[in-house]
Amino acid sequence: MNNEQANEFEAFLQERISCCTKKSQALFKDDRKDEAVFEKVRANVYDIFKTVFSVAAKNEKDAQAAETFFLAKLEQIPSAWVQSLEQAQQHGDSQKAHIETIKLDAVREIREKFAQITE
Amino acid sequence: MNEAQAVQLFKCLSDKSRLQILKSLAVEDMYVERLSERLGITAATVSFHLKKLADAGAVTSYKSQYYMMYSLNRTIFQTTILEILEEKSDEDAEQDRRDEKYRQKVLDAFLEYGKLKAIPAQRKKERIILEEIVKSFEYDRIYSEREVNWILSDYFDDFCTLRRDLVAEQLLCRDAKGYWRVKAENKTE
Repeated sequence: MNNEQANEFEAFLQERISCCTKKSQALFKDDRKDEAVFEKVRANVYDIFKTVFSVAAKNEKDAQAAETFFLAKLEQIPSAWVQSLEQAQQHGDSQKAHIETIKLDAVREIREKFAQITE
Repeated sequence: MNEAQAVQLFKCLSDKSRLQILKSLAVEDMYVERLSERLGITAATVSFHLKKLADAGAVTSYKSQYYMMYSLNRTIFQTTILEILEEKSDEDAEQDRRDEKYRQKVLDAFLEYGKLKAIPAQRKKERIILEEIVKSFEYDRIYSEREVNWILSDYFDDFCTLRRDLVAEQLLCRDAKGYWRVKAENKTE
């Protein structure tokens, strides 16, 4: 991944964070609290991976190592969410299940965007 | 509807999207995708809201061919808010215990060895004292003013004020024949 691609990916994550945060604020104002929380959760996921991406870029010795580190985290971090989703479904906790699904959907989008940029 | 159910329902209703779903279902029964298109919310989010509404008893579902249809539980919305407020509270016993504790505290503060130390300035406290004093009067008996004064003078020197306040608080009633103790359920307005 070259600098241009890294900038594009970071811009994508930042744009998603801003968009979800704005949506969340609007939903709160519109008395749609649950959906506002969902948007906040989505924004948090993009934020987590933005941080992971910047740590990878800073700490790893070359672009290839940073990419490998980031892809490993893209698998490792959501594995706990997959487990949490399964547990929530088993216990009929629809709110938790919905939140875990949102987090996993956001990760899927991040993974697809990363793949598209690095193609 | 008990208190827990009422709280769950009110919490559920305090969300615009869920209110919009209920408004749609008030028009006709609908399935998730139809609601999703109509309200501009993802199907997953509509399902989430419907689950909450179903848990609160606001909607019911039934299968129709390939679709799971949702309908408004009209019975629950025919309950008036007053009916909910008049339901026996889960905390009634505890509230009664607290009320009784407060009442006893007031009686201990103003009555000493059966004598009133002073007439409380606060109306709420005076009411508690008067409710205690009025127990000295029997129901279904007419007392002359002299008898009333005699009984009240046991409590306090200024029995005239006590007598007037008992009448003002509708604990005693009077007419030309005399005074009588008012039963709680048939106080005169």
